[in-house]
Formats: sequence, structure tokens, C-alpha cells
Amino acid sequence: MTAQEHPSQQFDRELAGDGTDVDQYYRLETLLKNLPGMAYRCLNLPHWPMDFVSDGCFDLCGYHRHEIESQQVLWGDFTHPDMIGEVDRKVRDAAENGEPFEVEYRIIHRSGQEKWVWERGRVVDRRDDGVAVLEGLITDITDRKQAETALVRAEAFSRAVLQSAVEAVITVDAQGAIESCNESACRMFRYALADMRGKHSRLLFETGDYRDFEALFSSIRGSESTSAKTAELRGCAIDGHSFPLHLSIDDIADPVLDHTEQKFVLIIRDLSHQRAAEKEVRKHRELLAHADRLNTLGEMAVGIAHEINQPLTAISMYAQSGVRILKHSNPDLEKLSGALDKLSRQALRAGAIIEHMQQLTRRRESKLETVDCSAMIDEVKRLAEVEAQLRNITVALRVDKLLPCVHCDPIQIQQVLLNLLRNGMEAMHQRGKVVDDKIVLRAQHETDTVRFSILDSGTGISDDLAQQLYKPFSSTKESGMGLGLSISRSIIEAHGGQLGFANNSNGGATFFFTLPVAGDELK
Amino acid sequence: MSATPTVYIVDDDDAVRDAMGLLLETADVPHHGFNSAESFLEAWNGSQRGCLVLDVRMPGMDGARLQKALNDAECHLPIIFLTGHGDVPMAVEAMRHGALDFLRKPVAEQDLLELINNAFALESTQFVAGETARRLQGKLDSLTDREHEVFTHVAQGMSNKVIAAELDISERTVEVHRSQVMKKLDAASLADLVRIHVESESA
Repeated sequence: MTAQEHPSQQFDRELAGDGTDVDQYYRLETLLKNLPGMAYRCLNLPHWPMDFVSDGCFDLCGYHRHEIESQQVLWGDFTHPDMIGEVDRKVRDAAENGEPFEVEYRIIHRSGQEKWVWERGRVVDRRDDGVAVLEGLITDITDRKQAETALVRAEAFSRAVLQSAVEAVITVDAQGAIESCNESACRMFRYALADMRGKHSRLLFETGDYRDFEALFSSIRGSESTSAKTAELRGCAIDGHSFPLHLSIDDIADPVLDHTEQKFVLIIRDLSHQRAAEKEVRKHRELLAHADRLNTLGEMAVGIAHEINQPLTAISMYAQSGVRILKHSNPDLEKLSGALDKLSRQALRAGAIIEHMQQLTRRRESKLETVDCSAMIDEVKRLAEVEAQLRNITVALRVDKLLPCVHCDPIQIQQVLLNLLRNGMEAMHQRGKVVDDKIVLRAQHETDTVRFSILDSGTGISDDLAQQLYKPFSSTKESGMGLGLSISRSIIEAHGGQLGFANNSNGGATFFFTLPVAGDELK
Repeated sequence: MSATPTVYIVDDDDAVRDAMGLLLETADVPHHGFNSAESFLEAWNGSQRGCLVLDVRMPGMDGARLQKALNDAECHLPIIFLTGHGDVPMAVEAMRHGALDFLRKPVAEQDLLELINNAFALESTQFVAGETARRLQGKLDSLTDREHEVFTHVAQGMSNKVIAAELDISERTVEVHRSQVMKKLDAASLADLVRIHVESESA
């Protein structure tokens, strides 16, 4: 045996000396080679000089077996300097007590790459000078460590996201009991976190709405579909504060758990601000629309005066006739009664005109109703004719028979129609006089909508004009505020439609928009 | 339509037309309504008497255009316009074209009836003057060319002798023409002849 006889060689020899154990020897060799890591024997001295390592050392630290066993490099050289102290302490403690030790630490591979390893070992012997001989196994656990780190990071990330989210995020079990939630949820419903846990999630909704919630919850519980279900409900905080919210509820797809442990996540957005903003926008639109209606009436004043003057003229003459009949020596009472009858009818006619005008001047909250198209169109026609007569234009209707009812605010839609009709007549006036001039108001039933079009034979819309058509305060009219079209458009858009225009092939322009047909509740 | 002086009401508003009709009926004024300028123009045959009450604003042909069309058609019936508020410029324009007057709606009964009376009086004077002129023209038209020449000269104060020399005819022939002219023109004296000549010149 040489001075530097290798332990394995010694082992080989010992085994070989006794031929019966050759099989066993090869079996052990194979086992060591296939170990996930490196088996070793070393002395519990600084940097742990090793006199035996298995072949796994190369993968682990990048040094060959003979380099380590010849102690050209020591294990302590690879051990990360930040951790060597700790490893040393643990090993020393274990060695002193004669107990096995387990330690995880980092090493630096020959290439410079850092690795995490797990080591388990124990004292197997002591040299004459008392130095412990250790044997053990070191395994590469870098992958596991990385996965752990990634998991920790992912958790930290999702926690940060959850906690910083404006939405309330709440997880519930299959029965609907709350398991966890984020801070927003506590803020939104004014609960302490501890009070939130274990509560049934339906308590978060107003009494009137929690049946809807239950229905939604059971529908997602029963469904196989993976898409979330949503609803707009009213929430109820612990102090009774009620607020509009948007709820999205979804199954938490958990690849590990089986379906007996189904869980759900509720994501809730407080809609209070959104609703307030919408209300504000609506209020502004109503104010502007009202201002526009007043302006329109101002512009129509001459026509309106003329319109009211007609019945007044008739009334005064019927009254004067009545007086004359009475002054007669032999009054014709039948004739008198006829005159008074006609007189009162003219008074009603004047009243009706004023009533129409008043509807336009009234300031009111916009209200969606189920509206009979034909009646609405007839009223608009009457209003438009006030102006049409002054301009010597006929308002012609082309209305489908049996038009369905539409869902709209009738005053606002009449305002839009009147605006468009008056614009059209203005354009026709600018173009110059034509005999038998007419403007057409058309209403057609399309599948789910009614399409309204106003066809004029005016000057048409030039490209320049089209650019600034909807801009507020831009007008081609001398007296106009330039609000009509921009308000009309915002009214139509608030009704879920679009206001559009096109030039007609034979001159003039067509403006059009659609309104949704009213639901099943009527017709 | 008869030749009785009648108020022709032209207004597109049924109620206004009807009410005015009733009012005129109670005042025993004959009247006739038309719902458009066009329908009156169509009915015009040159023999109607009376006046027009005409609305300024009407669909189709408006009051001002009817006034012009009637002028072109040699209809000189006096026109009273009815206007609403804000139609003053139109009314002024109508007055410039010879309208009798205009009334603002609603109309006061007294004003209307007074204006209609004025209109009838004016129309009547115009009619009588027109009749006289027409009759005179008829007499003048019955003169032969030669008689006309003699009439003109006599009226200018020429003696028969001078006329005979001027026309290169005998004095006796002038006398025959002259007595023929006096007869045809219903003139009793030289003074009558001179007056008739002045009237025919100014007509």
C-alpha cells in the first residue's frame, strides 16, 4: 500500500481480497455513482479536508474526485464565505454531541455559479488526536430553493396586488363563507379583518339584492364554464351604508385540490363615484339641452307669435260677432251659440300651442319612457310647421305604418328632431327659394331600432363644415348659439345611438339617428 | 259672383276666415272667402266689385305676390292687408304698392268695418269714374276718323272756315261733321265739346 493510498482503492482491495464480496462491491460502487449528490468522508478540521468523495462531486462543485481527495482543494473553499461560519458551528456542535447534522447552505461552483446544497452527516470515528471523522451526503437543492424563492416572491407579489387593489377581493368556500379578503374589502364594507372571516358573503349585499347574489353564486357553483359571472347589485356595509357595486364572481381553478374543496373569489368594485359622475354628466346635459330649447324657442318667437295670433284673431271676431248678434232686435240665438262654440274651440287651439311650447321650456330630469313614435312625430311636425310656414316650406312625413314604440326621453328626442328640421330649413333658405319646397321627416322600423332621418334640399354639408359640425359654439346661422348639433349628438349618444349625416345625391343633406325599440312591456 | 260690392277674404286659416265671415254677416256686409291667393286669382273675372281683405302670410303665393298679380290682371279692388306681429316691413311694402291700409291681427271690429266702408266708397268712386270714362270712350270710338279730326280742331277753338282750309274740305262739309260729332258725343254746345275733349285727354 502506497503512502497515498486512496480509500476507495483500499476498499477495493479489501473487498477484492475476499473474492466472495466482489458483487457487493460493484453494487456499492453503482449506488454511490448514482447518488443524487456526493458522498464523502472528511475530518472535522477547518475547511474539512476530505479523503473520500463519490463521483457526484464533479457535478456538484466542478472538481474531480482526485483533486478533492488529494486535498488540492478543500470543501471549505467552495462553501460560500457568508455561510461557512454557520455551517462550521452546526457541524462542530453535532460532532461534539455525537449527533447527526443537517444543514443547507450555498457553495460556489468552479465556474463561479452559486448553488444551494443540503448536507447530512455524522461522526463515524475519531482519530487518535480526537479529531472527528465525518461521513455524509451533500445534494444539490438549487432547483428546489429557486422554486421556493419564486413561490415566496409570487406570494409577496399577489399579496401586494391584492392589498393595493381598489377592488375588494374576497375568497369564499363552497358554502359562501368568507375565508379571506384584502384591505379594500374591509374598507369598503367597514369591517375589521377578523370580523370579516367566517361571515357569510351574502351579508355584504342589501337585503333586497341578496337573493340575486345567491342565484348568481349557485349558478357559478353549478356551472362547468370557466368564465366569471358579473352583476350590478347594492352593497351594504356593517353600519348600514348602502352603495352600488359591480360584482364579479369566479371559481378558483385549483389544480391540486379536487372538487370537494371548491372555492370562489368575489371581486367587488364600488360604483358610487362612477354613478355620481354619471349623474353629474347627465345633469350638465340636461341643463345644456334646456338652454338650447329656450334658445330654439327664442329663435322661433316670430313663428310662435303668428301661430298664437291666428286663434286670437278668430276669437276676437267671434266675440264681436256675438255682441252684434245680441244687439240685434231679434237675436239669432242659434247663430250666437255656434259662434261661442267656435270661439271656445279656438281658445283651446291657442292653449294647445302654448302647452307645446311650455313642454319645451320646462326644465326636467331626463326620463326614459316607452314612447309612441307616431304621436311624437306628429307633435314635432306641428312645432316645425310654425317655422316652415314662415319660410314657405312644407314638412312632409314618410313614416312606416305600425311603427313600434321606442325607449327614449320624448322631450329630448323632439328637441333633436326639431333642431334637425330647423337646420334643414335654414339650409334650404340659404340655398334660395324653390316652388313647393319640402323637408322630409322619415321614420323606418329596422330590426331592433327605429331609424329617424331628416332629408332637406338645402346647400348640403361641405367638407369644411363637416369638420366643425358638432363643435359647440360654431354656427353658420347669424342668430344661432351653435349648440344645437352638439347637444343633439350628446342626447342621441346618451340614448345609445349615433347621430350621422350624409349629402344627398340631388343636393341637400340627410341627418339620421336610431333609437332602440322598447322592450316587451309594450306592443 | 255678382256685381254687388263684396268683401273677398283671402286667408289660409279656416278659423280666421270663418270668424270674419260671421262678423261681416252680422254687419250685413256681403263677403266671400278664399283659402289661398291662387284660388282668388282663378276666380277673378274682372267684374267683381268690393274690396279684398288679404292675409300677408300664406303658404304658396303670399299676400304681396297676389297684390302684384292682381295689378298685372288689371284688378284694382282696394286691398286691406292683415298682418301678424313682426310683419310691418311687409305691410309697408304693400302700402307702397297701393294697398289701402293694413290691420294688425287680432283685428278690432270697428277698424275693420270702417276700413271696409272706406274701401267700398273708394271702389265705388273708382267704379263710377271708370264707368263715365268707359262711356265717353265708347262715344269717342264711334266717331269716324274725319269726325275725330273735326272734333279735335273744334275743341281747340278753330272756326269752321279755318278747319275747312286745314283739312282741305268745304266749310259745308265741316258743318255736317260738326253736327254729327255733337250728336254722337251728346254735346249741346261748343262748351260741352271742349269739356269732353279735356276729359278724354286726361283719361
